[in-house]
This record gives sequence, C-alpha cells and structure tokens, in this order.
Amino acid sequence: MEEVKIGIYVCHCGLNIADIVDVEEVTKYATTLPAVVVSRNYKFMCSDPGQNMIKEDIKELGLNRVVVASCSPLMHEPTFRRTIQEAGVNPYLFEMANIREHCSWITEDHKAATEKAKALVSAAVRRVYYHQPLEIKEVPVNPNTLIIGGGIAGIQAALEIADSEHKVYLVERDPSIGGHMIQFDKTFPTLDCSACILTPKMTSVGMHPYIELMTYSEVEEISGFVGSFKARIRKKARYVDEDKCNGCGVCVTKCPWKANSEFDLGLSERKAIYTPFAQAVPNIPVIDTEHCAYFLKEKCRACEKFCELGAIDFEQVDQIVEVEVGNIIVTTGYDSFDPTPITQYGYGKFDNVYTGLEFERICNAVGPTSGKIVLKDGSEPKSVAILHCVGSRDENYHEYCSRVCCMYALKYSHLIKERTDAEVYQMYIDMRCFGKGYEEFYKRLSEEGVNFIRGKVAEVTDRAINEDEQGKLIVCGEDTLLCKTIRVPVDMVILATALEPRSDAAEVAKLLTITQSADGFFLERHPKLDPVATMTDGVFIAGCCQGPKDIPDAVAQASAAATRVLALISKGRVELEAATAVIDEEKCSGCRICNLLCPYSAISFIEDEKVSRINEALCKGCGTCVAACPSAAITHRQFTMEEITAEIEGVLV
Amino acid sequence: MNLEDIIKETKTYYCLECGKCTSLCPVSRYNSNFSPRFMLERALMGFGDELIHDRELFSCLACYACSNLCPSDVDYPVFTQKVRNLASGEGEHGDCAHSGILFSLMRLMSRSDIRQKRLDWLDGCHTSEKSEVLYFAGCAPYFEPVFEDIEVSPVNIARNSIKVLNALGIEPMVLPNERCCGHDLLWTGDVETFKKLAQFNAQMIKESGAKKIVFSCPEGYRTFKIDYPQYVELDCELMHITELLAQNLSSLSFRAKRSNPEVKRVTYHDPCRLGRHLGIYEPPREIIRAIPEIKLTEMEHSGDESICCGTSAWTNCSSYSKQIRVERLHEAKATGAEALVTACPKCQIHFKCAMVDKGTEKCTNIEMKVMDIVTLVADALGDKSSE
Ligand SMILES: Cc1cc2nc3c(=O)[nH]c(=O)nc-3n(C[C@H](O)[C@H](O)[C@H](O)COP(=O)(O)OP(=O)(O)OC[C@H]3O[C@@H](n4cnc5c(N)ncnc54)[C@H](O)[C@@H]3O)c2cc1C
Ligand code: SF4
Ligand code: SF4
Ligand code: SF4
Ligand code: SF4
Ligand code: SF4
Repeated sequence: MEEVKIGIYVCHCGLNIADIVDVEEVTKYATTLPAVVVSRNYKFMCSDPGQNMIKEDIKELGLNRVVVASCSPLMHEPTFRRTIQEAGVNPYLFEMANIREHCSWITEDHKAATEKAKALVSAAVRRVYYHQPLEIKEVPVNPNTLIIGGGIAGIQAALEIADSEHKVYLVERDPSIGGHMIQFDKTFPTLDCSACILTPKMTSVGMHPYIELMTYSEVEEISGFVGSFKARIRKKARYVDEDKCNGCGVCVTKCPWKANSEFDLGLSERKAIYTPFAQAVPNIPVIDTEHCAYFLKEKCRACEKFCELGAIDFEQVDQIVEVEVGNIIVTTGYDSFDPTPITQYGYGKFDNVYTGLEFERICNAVGPTSGKIVLKDGSEPKSVAILHCVGSRDENYHEYCSRVCCMYALKYSHLIKERTDAEVYQMYIDMRCFGKGYEEFYKRLSEEGVNFIRGKVAEVTDRAINEDEQGKLIVCGEDTLLCKTIRVPVDMVILATALEPRSDAAEVAKLLTITQSADGFFLERHPKLDPVATMTDGVFIAGCCQGPKDIPDAVAQASAAATRVLALISKGRVELEAATAVIDEEKCSGCRICNLLCPYSAISFIEDEKVSRINEALCKGCGTCVAACPSAAITHRQFTMEEITAEIEGVLV
Repeated sequence: MNLEDIIKETKTYYCLECGKCTSLCPVSRYNSNFSPRFMLERALMGFGDELIHDRELFSCLACYACSNLCPSDVDYPVFTQKVRNLASGEGEHGDCAHSGILFSLMRLMSRSDIRQKRLDWLDGCHTSEKSEVLYFAGCAPYFEPVFEDIEVSPVNIARNSIKVLNALGIEPMVLPNERCCGHDLLWTGDVETFKKLAQFNAQMIKESGAKKIVFSCPEGYRTFKIDYPQYVELDCELMHITELLAQNLSSLSFRAKRSNPEVKRVTYHDPCRLGRHLGIYEPPREIIRAIPEIKLTEMEHSGDESICCGTSAWTNCSSYSKQIRVERLHEAKATGAEALVTACPKCQIHFKCAMVDKGTEKCTNIEMKVMDIVTLVADALGDKSSE
C-alpha cells in the first residue's frame, strides 16, 4: 500500500461552528494525529476557495485521504467527495466529522464542544486511514414512469411526463380519476369552477397516447431500484368489459339496487352498478358486489339484459399486471378528518352539522341538493357557523395546521352569502390566508358582511336557554377579542375539518420503502431543498400525501416531481451507491437471517450453493445485515471491523 | 418557583389564546369576570402582578374541564395552583367560605402536639389495629358538625365505607391521629402547611405498616396519588373505594330488599378529582349497574364532559357557584332519576347546600335526593354490612 497522507480541513461555518468550538485549537491538535500531513481551517470549506484549498493540497502535498470537520454528511458529503474526485482522488477516500450538529449547535460550553470536536476529528482520521477506493457503477434508466394516485397532483405529473412522449402508468384506486378536487364546486381564491378547470385535464389523461390509465387498481408490490423498478398492479374486476362498454349508462338506469354514494359522502344514493359522477374518466361503470343483487342473491342481472354491447361480465376476475418503470411518483393525497370523536361538536348527533367536504357536495350544482344550500328539512338556513381548526392545531388530534381550511371556510362564506340570506359566523383562532390573493379574498369577505369571531368553539348544543335559541344549534365559545363568552344560535354548523394522512399511508410507505414524518405524511428528502424527493432514489412525492396544501402548491409539486423524473430519463443512467455490504460466501452458513432483515430486499438465497448473496444494485449500505449475521460473514465496504475499531479508538484516546 | 417557571412547567407558552378553555369553563359561563385564557394571557404578557392580586385567581375549581380539551395541552389548574402560591406570599387568599373554620381546622392539624378525638363514629364497624389495608377517613369527622344543618353526614359515608369493606372481608386500620390530606391548602397556595400535613401522614402511615390505602374521598385520593410524591415518600398501593368494589363485585351479595326502595333510577355525577384528574369513570358505573333493581341513566354531560359541583377548596363560593349547581341538578332531574349519586362528600355538600340556600332570582329552586355511592352500596348489601 502506498503511504497514507491525510489532510484535515476544519470549517468555521461562519460563526455557526467557530463561535463555540475553538477551531484553531482543533486544527493544531489535528497535526498531532497519525499520517496527517496538513491541517487547516477556513471560514466556509464548502465555498469555492475552500474546495480549491483542498484541491491544491492534494496536488502539491500528494494527499490521498481527506477529512473535513464541518456539518452533517447529509449536507455536504457529496460536495467534498466531488472535490477530491476532481483532484484525482477516489471519492470514497473521504470522511466527515460533524462538529456543527454534534458539537457547536448542542451546547454553549466552549471547552466541552472543543474537546468533542477534537475527539470526532481524531476518530475520522483513524477511520479514513483504512478507507479503500470504491468503484462507482452506473445502470440505465427505464424511461417509463409509474404514478400512484389520480388526484390533481397525479394528473398534473402524468400529463407533464406524457407530453414529453415518455410512457406513464397512472394507477388510481377509485373507479375514476379526479381525487378530492373533482368533488368541489368552486376553488378559492379565484372561485373558478372546479370541474371546469379539472375535467379537460382528466379527459386528456384518458385519451393520452402515452398514458396507460389503470383505475379501480392498486399497486401490490414493488421491487427493484432507481432506473429499473418492477410493479405488480391489481386491476380489480369491474364486471364491465372496458373494451366493449361505451359508457351509455343504460345499465345504471336499469339497475334496481341502491347504496350510499361514496362520492357524495353518503348524502345521496347511487346504484349497485355506477360511475361515481357524470364526467368520470374513464366513463365505465363498476359493479359494487356488496350491493349487487346478483352477487348477494344470485338473481337480477338486469344490467346484462339491457346492455346492448354485451359489456357486462359477471365472470370477470381481478387481473394482475406487471410493469417495468424507471421512476415512481406517489400522489395518494389525503383523508378528511372524521370529527365524530369530538363529541362536543355534535357531528353525527345533530342533523345540520356538516364536515367541510360534505358542504362541498352540498354547494355543488350536481351534488345531492343540486347546489342549493339547504338544511336537512329542505329549508334555507338563516344563519350558519363555520368552526375552524377542527382536528387541526390540537394536541388531542393533529398538532399541525391544515393550511387550507381557513381559506375554504372563506370560500363557503362567500357561497352562502351569494346563494342565501343567511348570517355567517366564522369562529377562528387565527386567519391563515397565506397564498397569493388570499389576504385580498379575506378582505373581500369582510366587506361582504361575514362575522369573524376570534375564539375556538367549545361546544355545539341544542339546549336552549332562551326564546331566541329554541330549535337552533347553539355554538358556545369565547370571543377572545371582547373577552366575553358567547352563545350564537344558528341553523347550520360547518366543521372546517383537518386534512390527515391516508389511513393506509403506513402500508403505502412500506410498499415503496419511503418514510413518514411524525405527523404521518410522507417524508421528503429535505424540507426546503429537496421537497419532492424521498430517501429512496427514484421515488418522488407530490401533493397532499406530503402534507396539507392547496391546489396551486399540489400542482407545483407535481410539476417539480415530473421534472425530476424527466431529468433522470434524459440523463439515461444513474450511479449506484458503492459503499455496500458484501457476503463472504466461505463464512456464510446459509441461515438466511439477513434475507428477512434487509429493508431493501437486497439479499437473496442461492439455493444451489446454500449461501446468501447481496444484489449490489439494491444494497443501500445501511448495515443492518452486517450487524445481524451470526457468522460475521458480512462486511460493509466502508465500515470494516478495522475501521470501526480505529474510529472508537480515535474517540477514546 | 417564579412566574416564568410556572409558565414553563404548565406549557403555558404554547397557549394559542383560542379561548376554548374559557368557553368550556363552568365558572366563566356565569361569571364574566373570570376567563382562564385571560389569566394565562396576563402571565404571558408580563402582567404577573395584576394577576396575583386579581380576586378571580381563586375562582378556578381545578375541575380540569379546560385542560382536558385544550388544544395545546396547557395545564391551567396547576398553573392556578402555583400562581396562588405566589399570591399567598403576598397575602392573597381568596374568599374563604364557612367563616374560615375549615381552614382553621386544617392548620390546627398541622401542629405536632394536637391530640384528636376523631374516631367516635366507628360504632358498628369492624376495624383492626394491624391490617395491610388502611382506610383514610379524611376530614369527615370535622365536616360532620359544620354541615349538620344541611343534612349531610360525611361520617355516615365513612361508616358505610368501612361496612362495605367489612362485607368484602376486610377489617381495615384507621389512624387515630390522621391529619387532613392538605388538598385545600395546596390549592389555595399554602404549600408550607400542606407539606407539614403530608409529612405527618406519611410518617404515621409508614409506622402503621399499611400496604394499601383506601379512600372514599376523591380529593384525598388525588392528593396522595399526584401531589404527595412531589413532597414525601410513601410506598403504598392507593385505591378509591369504587375501584376496590368494582374489582370485587362478585364477592358482594346484594339483598333483594334495599332500605330505600323508592330509589329505582339514579344518575351518576363524576367528581372532577376522580374523573378528569384520575380517569376513573367506569368503576362507579359498574357498581351501580350491579345493584339489583337500580337503573343508571346518564346526564347530558357525563364522564369526561361532566360538570363540576361549583366550588373547590371552600374558596370564592358565590352566586355563580350556586348557578353551576342548580344547572347541574337540572341536568340530573332531566334524566328522570330519583337520586343523584356521587362519589365525593364535598360534591354532596355543595349540591345539598344549593337546595337549602334559597338563593337568588337567577336560579330556580330545585329538590333532589343526593347520596354517596358507598351509601347506596351499603343499603343494598346483605346482613353482613350491618352486623
Ligand atoms: C373541504 C376542502 C375544500 C378545499 N378547497 C380547495 C380550494 O378551493 N382551492 C384549493 O386550492 N384547494 C382546496 N382544497 C385542497 C385540495 O383538496 C388539495 O390541495 C388537492 O385536492 C390535493 O390533491 P392531491 O392530488 O394531492 O390529493 P387527492 O385529491 O386526495 O387525490 C389523491 C388520489 O389518489 C388516490 N389514491 C389514494 N391512495 C391510493 C392508492 N394507494 N393507490 C391508488 N390510488 C390512490 C385517491 O383515490 C385520489 O384520487 C380543499 C380541501 C378540502 C378538504
Ligand atoms: S345485476 Fe347487480 S349491477 Fe346489474 S342491475 Fe342487478 S343489481 Fe344492478
Ligand atoms: S388553515 Fe385555518 S382553520 Fe385550518 S388548521 Fe390552519 S388555522 Fe385552523
Ligand atoms: S447493507 Fe445489508 S441490509 Fe442494508 S441494504 Fe445492503 S444488503 Fe440490505
Ligand atoms: S384552551 Fe388552551 S390554548 Fe386555548 S386559550 Fe385556553 S389554555 Fe390557551
Ligand atoms: S379548571 Fe375548571 S374551573 Fe378552573 S378554569 Fe378550568 S374549567 Fe374553569
């Protein structure tokens, strides 16, 4: 082995590090460490002059190992690896000591922080000593893309990719695409008609030569890695032949059996054979076997008799389709919070207490009341209260703010004012009108005579204490600006319910090996700088599955995710992690413990040879198997026994 | 502890100033001068002095209705408790009910040299000198003469408690020199005296060798369970009598004829200390349901939504307190029940008081039988209990 020559670079990070850690002392200390040839410090190591300093030292002093003591490797490891690579050193002959997050940011104690920084530098030096050059491999990128979820985010991403003439498989669980947006009447703040702006996009998806739309379908299994994923998709039986059906709807008209409409949230009924709404894409009905007379009692088949195209097929079974793609975009959206547990609000107990989404249907021209804002008994409300933050900003439910409910509450106020003579009361904690044109919309509503009361409602009751309250729903709260408790008698109460993660978010996360943040939404790679990527290469997220947001933000994210995918397609190849694990087949006893533990399913068992083997393209180098192997047969290429022992020694001396 | 520390400990920093607490608060409902939100806000805005000298500082009932549903999990009752301690340092005590006699008794009990004659009520009960189980009688013997005129007999609850324990085959110890648990002193800011009482009790209980302490008063139970550990060491299992009874329902033989057969339908009032403070909602209900020929009907607000009986720690009792009680009694009446059953002697005192005191024009008068759950059980038990 050639002589090891290590260079140490201690970063000030402005004052982030230098304010607490004595960088001069650390630099001086580093010169005493074995094989260290040079030790320097600089204001910003990641800046051009900082990087050039390293490059020059490599050239002039013949360095063949580099340690940078600065921030988290998550931030700048790629930067410095590139730096040394540009100077002709293998990028894996590098080590970072995190003296910011692990030292300066966690204490005010200068001495302790400096001591710890020295220990971390010493560990990094001893460790990098044993690093070996690793070879970076590249694999080609399959130009097809899988998009899971056909709401506005999924639709947008699909169209952008397909328009560039790359194939998209769009998988939607429901019988039609459209997501939540297609349930709305108007959209804030411009009050565009939701269907008018969304249906053209839906139709484009349905007809696009580069989009293969699979509705009433779910992804069951994903394998592979960035560039070459395989997905197994279950196309649920519709009992209607998609190729024969022309969407005439005779079957629906003739079907004598009914069930609650999911699309109208149970506020109206649909048939046992149905399309969820008139402009559904595709316009092909499905039979709901839980309510169809034929599936329940083996009689009826009226739909079959009337369908002239012979499209009804009771023998149809679920189909399994396998597709190969290079990238995946997840756009599964959100669920609307169920306010039943907040018993004080009387949802489910009083007739005229609605959730936000239910009111959306009530406003809708093709909804259960044909867009008339009326009470259960058909009469027009004289007063309506909208309760903010139901299930949001509340430690008992969701801690986060759902971001759009203030705005949709304003939208409802406007619609109520426009269509009825009712008084409208908004009971809010803070009005959060953050987007473009939002504050202006709030002002407009104030002009329209909406009553804004600052205070979170405690209770909705029907127990009247005076004449005025008889027969009303009484909303009790404190007007915190007047410092007065109030009782507001109204006819209708709308709960501005939270947006929450899909009930199956955990399963979907597992399927895609992505993670959820504490609130349950999918976790982005970096909250500011990498908001649509995930920790798994080749898997992107967009829209409300990442967190509550409005349509403009969902669309922007979808376009961003599409761009990221197109960039990979256009480059055509991806680099694979080189710091992987490897199994010494001589030592492997074939116990298969590692097979089950690998979170990336990278290890398979070779039956013939009775040993396990790691697929290097799949291995992310997490190290789980290394620690678990009872025969110590697995080594991580950058965490060898030697390296770890040296590192521990470095911390201790 | 200064105001800053109190704000930290009770998570007041997180207050959204949403006012949910105020609108849930039974006091604020009638007393427009009292708003827990506004109290917190003044602490946060640096008006601590004003807060400490506000008469309404002593109006909170520590009922936990607010904190239970606060979106930011702010502990207003503990905030109050601690700020009252600061206030008491500046001579503030709130308005003391019953001419202060109850507080005088508590403070008397904090002296080391007193000799009490607190066990005269024990006739007909089987107790023992040495037992693993100790029954904590609390202030019942002192309340007895004070509330004679409104026909509440706390001693009767104590006596029935022991009879019911006897029916389970338990002959508990009772301490001849037991002290007040200190609940009311702690909640009115007199931490010093509270500590003394706690130390006396802990010392005596340690010496007695008891392994388990049974309470019929939820205040004593809460104080031992939540507050004592911060001041004294005590290694005993603690139980409310309803928990013990609910666990042993099968060993109780109820007789066919009760001594008060006119009571057929009852409703149960959750005492705040038992319910929201300690989360004990089901055991009392299980017991009532197990008694033959008694039907339990719930009030509009029950369980964790139950409404407080209107006064705590004998302080700031006012016409608002009476309004809260009358309102609650109306809820109870509306269930069609013949009796309101509770598990706290103080709740009973407060409800009875509201019926006796022909109050203001703001509240209509109302009559209803109020009884303690152990009395209901004792009445329904076979001969064992009255042997
Ligand atoms: C009451 C209410 C009113 C609103 N009003 C407005 C407004 O006026 N203006 C505005 O800008 N924003 C509004 N919003 C916000 C808006 O709804 C969202 O920004 C938008 O719908 C997000 O779109 P999305 O595609 O991310 O999610 P979604 O609309 O939820 O779509 C997700 C899609 O994925 C599908 N899916 C889910 N899981 C799977 C799976 N495992 N496999 C396959 N498919 C799956 C679903 O069936 C659905 O079709 C409102 C929100 C609410 C609750
Ligand atoms: S067979 Fe089923 S879907 Fe067809 S008409 Fe009858 S009930 Fe409707
Ligand atoms: S957007 Fe408004 S209503 Fe919704 S959680 Fe945030 S503050 Fe509450
Ligand atoms: S290090 Fe082991 S467990 Fe981790 S990804 Fe690679 S093979 Fe799987
Ligand atoms: S309910 Fe909680 S958050 Fe709201 S004002 Fe009261 S203490 Fe503050
Ligand atoms: S604890 Fe009860 S009385 Fe005190 S402020 Fe809260 S709700 Fe009001």
